[in-house]
Amino acid sequence: MTYAPVAGLCRRGPGIVALVGLVLALFGLAAQASAASRDTTDDASPPTPRLATLDWGIAQNLVAMGVSPIAVGQTAGYATWVADPPLPKGTCNLGNRAQPNLELLDQLDPDRILITRFYAPAGPRLKQIAPVTSVDTYGQPGDVWTNTVDAVKRLGQIAHRSAAAQALIARVESDVRKAADQLPSSTKPLLVLQFSGPQHVRVYGQGSLIQATMQRMGLTSAWQGETTPWGFSYVPISRLAEIKTGQMVVVGPIPVGIAEQIKNSRVWQSLPIVKDAPVLYIPQVWSFGGLPSATRFARLISHALREAPASGPGWPVKAAGA
Amino acid sequence: MNRRPRITPARLCGFLGLPVVVLAVAALRATTEGNLQAIWAGPGADDITSVLVYFSWLPRLVVALIAGAGLALAGVLMQQTLRNPLASPTTLGVATGAQALLLVATLFAPGLLIYGRGLIAFIGGALAVALVFALAWRRGLAPTVLVLAGLVVNLYLGAVSLALILFNQESLHGLMIWGAGSLAQQNWSDVVHLAPCLVIVALGAGILSRSLALLDLDEVNARNLGVSMLWLRTVSLGLAVFVTASIVSRLGLIGFIGLASPAIVRLAGARTLKARLIWSPLFGALLLTLTDLALQLIAGRNAALIPTGATTAALGAPLLLWLVPRLSMNARSPNTNAPPPIPRRNAPWRLIGFAVVATLVMIIIALFAGRDAHGWNAPFALPWAETGHWRAPRVLAAGMAGMLLALAGTLIQRVSGNPMASPEVLGVSAGTGMGLLALIWFVPGAGTLALLGAGTGGALTTLVVLIAINARSGFEPEQLLLTGIAVMFAFDAIQRIVLAGNDPRTQSMLAWVSGSTYFVDMHTAIVISSVGLVLVALAWPLGRWLDVLPLGELVSRALGLHVTVSRVVLLGLVAVLTAAATLIVGPLSFVGLLAPHLARLSGLARARPHMAGAMVFGALLMIAADWVGRQVIFPNEIPAGLVATLIGGSYFMWRLRRL
Repeated sequence: MTYAPVAGLCRRGPGIVALVGLVLALFGLAAQASAASRDTTDDASPPTPRLATLDWGIAQNLVAMGVSPIAVGQTAGYATWVADPPLPKGTCNLGNRAQPNLELLDQLDPDRILITRFYAPAGPRLKQIAPVTSVDTYGQPGDVWTNTVDAVKRLGQIAHRSAAAQALIARVESDVRKAADQLPSSTKPLLVLQFSGPQHVRVYGQGSLIQATMQRMGLTSAWQGETTPWGFSYVPISRLAEIKTGQMVVVGPIPVGIAEQIKNSRVWQSLPIVKDAPVLYIPQVWSFGGLPSATRFARLISHALREAPASGPGWPVKAAGA
Repeated sequence: MNRRPRITPARLCGFLGLPVVVLAVAALRATTEGNLQAIWAGPGADDITSVLVYFSWLPRLVVALIAGAGLALAGVLMQQTLRNPLASPTTLGVATGAQALLLVATLFAPGLLIYGRGLIAFIGGALAVALVFALAWRRGLAPTVLVLAGLVVNLYLGAVSLALILFNQESLHGLMIWGAGSLAQQNWSDVVHLAPCLVIVALGAGILSRSLALLDLDEVNARNLGVSMLWLRTVSLGLAVFVTASIVSRLGLIGFIGLASPAIVRLAGARTLKARLIWSPLFGALLLTLTDLALQLIAGRNAALIPTGATTAALGAPLLLWLVPRLSMNARSPNTNAPPPIPRRNAPWRLIGFAVVATLVMIIIALFAGRDAHGWNAPFALPWAETGHWRAPRVLAAGMAGMLLALAGTLIQRVSGNPMASPEVLGVSAGTGMGLLALIWFVPGAGTLALLGAGTGGALTTLVVLIAINARSGFEPEQLLLTGIAVMFAFDAIQRIVLAGNDPRTQSMLAWVSGSTYFVDMHTAIVISSVGLVLVALAWPLGRWLDVLPLGELVSRALGLHVTVSRVVLLGLVAVLTAAATLIVGPLSFVGLLAPHLARLSGLARARPHMAGAMVFGALLMIAADWVGRQVIFPNEIPAGLVATLIGGSYFMWRLRRL
């Protein structure tokens, strides 16, 4: 490869003059940069490699251990759906996660590209740019917490930041414990779910990072149903009738228009779990692969349970300041 | 025919009715968990079990009956008015219009959803049909033009939807359940809305039935009997569209019932329109209810969602395949499917020459211009070594795939004489897609080579099915297309089920299915191009067959052509061409449908200019689409197949309007 790793390459800056300038600069930098990269390899302590990743969970873990990935797939989606921790400014958007922009990635010249097995079809193409490593948490044996922690450790090795990875794991575990300490003295079994439409919900159960976090906090799950390999069940609302006692937690964002439909739903209003305790609401939590999501969920759920109104059935109460 | 049908529509419905009752009771028992006393508490009770009975189980049962009947009725009206046994309630774009507007509203104006998903979906469906009508209005809503316009609008809006889903999967996952058609209920509002719609349409169909029956004669005779064709078509299609839009907007996409019910009751002996109008809705209602009840019981403890609409279509596809050889024999009505005549161009090769030049210009643009991290780079600014090895295989693959699909499309359209025909409609693309999908689903992490293998396997399996089913009829084109449509139904349905499930595998699946040159490297591109060129060389000498076959079976035979042999050879070629192209660009690029039509609309009438023109147009379209798709929302890449559908579709609609 003859490309230049150019700092700050990824910026939105139209304007023909700027373009031409940058293109020229690129040529100029090419020579310098290749020399520079040769310099750094001689260093005793290995520098942080330039990592690009398609997966949001991996990006979350990297950012949380203080490693800024140079490029991530669908950065706008990350901001909406993952949120925590935010991507550093200047992280390049690679486009669709299943089909990251190859010419752009090639120009950015990463040292390594991190994927999960679900992006494997793009693997052969990505290998032409840089070595590709698959760091998986789902779709393999073992429980999700251990797999997620192992993924963080592996990412630490890859980024030459094993200490930071260990620190992240310790920090998350202590954050979860702290959030657990602040829980009200008695809690009902929780039914954590997300609305998929007016008739269907996605319930988090066995095998989800959310349930694993709940276990560590001493919270029990009200959902005993079968789950997919990603730890959730897709069910129509009528299936929730089988849960006789507990408290419902709705994970955001709630699609527009659902509230109106739910208010008119005889089935929803008669659900034992809705009558049993106020329905809680927490903002979005990305549950695929990122350890920081455990902290986020623990913090949000602990806050929501503390602030819960004493009684009264009905529609989710937005937890303020979450 | 001397075989007396032992099955009658009435017996068929009775045969379905029994399991419906049994399963309904079983579902009721499952709902009440054996506590049947809850039923006697009445709908006023606050107890959850009786609420479930009266506000979930019962409305779901009723809504399934209504939806099944409504869709089947719409299917009868569509098939009768459009004179096409392949027509279904969604032929004119209702469902894709509803879906597209819902997706757009969800992404760009979520505030509108306050007015309810149903209303937005209904408006979307109505707008799409209005567009189809506008396109066909000048030709007096002639069936062929309507079917073509519907097909293009369907493809166009389908491509828009898929592009939106591709980049906003998380935001849209709730809509994917709607897209797969779920009948789950939690109050009576759907029943209250849909029941009057069904009654209105049933009454309308009853009033129209005498006039509509005259359509079994040909058009000239019907007109002589004093029927205003434009009025009759508008009202009849309007009724069908109204009931379909109402059902789709409330419950989501439920395929198969509207296509299959009329076909099955006709097969069972409902020969007259009146008989079909009576039995088809009844059969449709029972069929959908039976499926829904069975799925409810199966779903029971299952973690994944089993959406009724899509599953009905997936399960129905084999039934349709079984029906196909039996169906076409009975469907002998005047064929009004011949494409409208186009003035022939005097100098076809000059036009083709211009197109070749345009293609060369496009290739240069595609190879040397583009955006990078800094924005647009001037052509030739970046050294070839930096971008050439990324761009060259994609340009080659796109051009080749466009060429092969266009050639396949020309062959199949000329052989079948049906303007709806395309290699995609033949089902080979869908078969390839199913092979890819199965591998991505069950072996996540499989490499490109495995995917190529799975795709080829899928194509070959489909081909074997096509041959097995159609050998007896001597590859009669109408029947062949029905077979292909059944395969497409299955593929579309499976895709919808997968999308509704929304797990990390769907992203990969979408990437492959939507038809992108992304995964092609130079090696693959060269191999497939060589195969493609050999196939083109094989097809070229067959020009005479293609000039003769559209004249009909009798004329062809009189001119000394062995009809069955020539059909088998040409269809075999179509299948191989399609499989080769699909492996590159996925099953959803409709270049194979569009390019031959574009060539024909430009006045390329004889076989060889038609083939050559279509191939050049196909290549140009795909190369342009691939390049535009890579630039337009950089760094995101819209798959070439989708962009080709959008570009080709726009042009096609424009031409259609001036027809």
